[in-house]
Amino acid sequence: MAPLTPYTFIQCPCSDPSTLASSRPADASSPTSISGQERDDDDGRTFDPRAPRSNYSLYPLEYLLYCEDCHQIRCPRCVSEEIVTYYCPNCLFEVPSSNLKSEGNRCTRSCFQCPICIGPLGVTSLEKPADANLLAAPDNAASPPSGPYILICSYCNWSSTEIGIQFDKPNSIHAQLAKMRNGGVTRLTAKERKEKRREAAAQSGTGVPPTAAPTTTGGDGQDLDVEAQFANLKHFYQGQLADANAAGASSLSSLGDLGFASPNSLSRIMSIYTGGSLHDKKAKTRVGTMREALDSDEGFKLADLDESGAIEKLHEEGYDGTVSSEQLSNQPPNVGEVQLHGRSRFASELRPIPYLLRTKRSKRCPICRHIISKPEAKVQTTRFRIRLVAGSYIPSIAIRPLPGGGPPPDTLQPLRPAQFLLTFKNPIFETVKVTLASPATTPGRFASKVTVLCPQFEIDANTDVWDEALNKDGDKERRRRKGEDSGSGPAGGGQAEAGKIWERGRNWVSIVVEVVPASLRPPTISFGKKEDTGPLREDEDVLEIPMFVRVEWEVDAGGDEVGSVPSKDKDKEAKEKRELAYWCVLGLGRVSQG
Amino acid sequence: MSRRPPRGEYIETDTGNKVARKATLVGTQNIMLGGKTVIQPEVMIRGDLARSVPSSSSTASSSGAAGGAPPNNTAVAIGRYCFLSRGCCLRPPGRLYKGAFTYMPLRMGDHVYIGPGTVVQAASIGSHVHIGQRVVVGEFAIIKDYVRILDETVVPPNMVIPSFSIVAGQPARVVGEVPEGGHEAFELRELYKTVGNNPQPAPS
Repeated sequence: MAPLTPYTFIQCPCSDPSTLASSRPADASSPTSISGQERDDDDGRTFDPRAPRSNYSLYPLEYLLYCEDCHQIRCPRCVSEEIVTYYCPNCLFEVPSSNLKSEGNRCTRSCFQCPICIGPLGVTSLEKPADANLLAAPDNAASPPSGPYILICSYCNWSSTEIGIQFDKPNSIHAQLAKMRNGGVTRLTAKERKEKRREAAAQSGTGVPPTAAPTTTGGDGQDLDVEAQFANLKHFYQGQLADANAAGASSLSSLGDLGFASPNSLSRIMSIYTGGSLHDKKAKTRVGTMREALDSDEGFKLADLDESGAIEKLHEEGYDGTVSSEQLSNQPPNVGEVQLHGRSRFASELRPIPYLLRTKRSKRCPICRHIISKPEAKVQTTRFRIRLVAGSYIPSIAIRPLPGGGPPPDTLQPLRPAQFLLTFKNPIFETVKVTLASPATTPGRFASKVTVLCPQFEIDANTDVWDEALNKDGDKERRRRKGEDSGSGPAGGGQAEAGKIWERGRNWVSIVVEVVPASLRPPTISFGKKEDTGPLREDEDVLEIPMFVRVEWEVDAGGDEVGSVPSKDKDKEAKEKRELAYWCVLGLGRVSQG
Repeated sequence: MSRRPPRGEYIETDTGNKVARKATLVGTQNIMLGGKTVIQPEVMIRGDLARSVPSSSSTASSSGAAGGAPPNNTAVAIGRYCFLSRGCCLRPPGRLYKGAFTYMPLRMGDHVYIGPGTVVQAASIGSHVHIGQRVVVGEFAIIKDYVRILDETVVPPNMVIPSFSIVAGQPARVVGEVPEGGHEAFELRELYKTVGNNPQPAPS
């Protein structure tokens, strides 16, 4: 089993129903004067990191943001995001949102991913750059390679020749690819298709002999692709609806008007597929049935139920010729292929994947709507205009095994006390007072005993590094004045002592937590009450301690300091008190299952 | 590079570079170090694979690797506070250019960490990039700023990895985004202090 690196997860208040109800108004009011007693209603309830809900509310410190107006932690789940910029992750070009509406959410330049392995595809000339160049004709070497061009994956060596696609130009691959089906057959664009249909209509209107029709439609039916079929059907049914409207305006609607061939249901279906443009208020008045499409000009196509080709191909190519569901899910929505309807079965039916666009997003506080994170709009810059991360407001907690106890074992031994060092680092420019609380035993089936040796301490302000370097003496003096330890070394010669800080530095404090891990044997005898005697569940051997952290600090009433709001009463000269409290989970390590 | 009387494990230059004596640097005249860069033992940097002149002269007819390169051709450029872990290899990418094979320079920004056993053949790596152990970065890959590549990833050749990506898998794909609060974790100033001839202990 992989050794576990200790971790600290912090709970965002957004998922906690009690904080949502009680603390929001309290936090919003500017002078927080919550004393210990007001939290009594919370005391009965301890946070259980193993509860299924907790999965969704625990985050590492880096993922959390902080709203300066609400004075509260915000997590990726509760902030609301707004897209600042769309860009292609391959060519890093920004895509304006107007293009997005017309051209979709994929890059329309020449950025493609391999349909087999999703590696990037590059454009190469198919013409051999001629090894002969190296030996002989040096004048040939300078000539630029000429077409045809193909897309090739430099990771798995897939190339677009495998699906029979070559390009005439090395640029605007996306546009070229849109006009091409696998196998190199040209595919009509929507515009061309419309024109073709108009031509056909004009032809039939001018009186093409009806005897010729069956042969031509039979031939057309072969290459009627899905898009053309849909367009023809749409055209046909629109015509039918217009006729039905004109004819049946006076009739009453009947209950039998629900068949496939009824104008009512048809207009309903068409409004679903064509975005409601065909929806008609007068739909109720239509009756009767309409005739169905009869030839390919009207979108009629015989279903191809002959699968022998596919079976034969499967015989020839075997499993390697088929696509995996993962490859299929990576495929862009593709309705252009005749046989696919978006469901490829063979690797030869796959298409190069245009890169999905990526976004830069700004984040807002869900309560007060203030922006708490905003990146620069330009794709290439990595700066942020606003970036209020929780790491610069609340102390970070680092965990490591207490030094001096020999080399730390990979796992914790059950029923044997182990000591851990928690190092709290203060990021703000005020001295903060930290109060810790944790249940005496961890929640869950296996209750380990937890003792926080020093649950209350102060961390000095995060002063400038240079300050410390310049007045080392002052720093020492202050440390002595606190009377907690004499110097920077561990207190009491390496012996953890209750109520004492282990070590302290410029803006950090280390304290000791002692745990007695529980034995991981499920209780074999149940004493009357219903106990869970099941086997060990996933990660149930990880020793996790829920810990309630309360941070108190004072800010200048001026209101320009970190974490403060302008105070209303200017008479109050004194400093303002701030408080932030949250649950966190300390994952210490795995308990051995000996 | 000055040789000081007490022979430590590292050679420390005036600009603060710490280069292990057991590192293999080939073609040092083509390797540029920005300063404060750590090169651990068993690292290999192929400075000899410099850009050969892409003209149709007779020198290009051979393998095109070493030899014909003028001395001002930088093969590997490394920024400040980079950390090259034990056993990693930096190798400039090469390709056919106008009919002749040539190498292209490998450029690296500041605060780039390269894990042990990793092979890098990228065209460019931005600043604040963390590359894990046993990673392969394919030829002409472009890695932008604030990118984290997890262990044992294979970055395919020519791949572009945009900023704030977390990348993993074979072949590599973007599996996540670097959170706003995670930018400081890319700083390598502290790590720089922990190695050298008189290393300081890591801060708690």
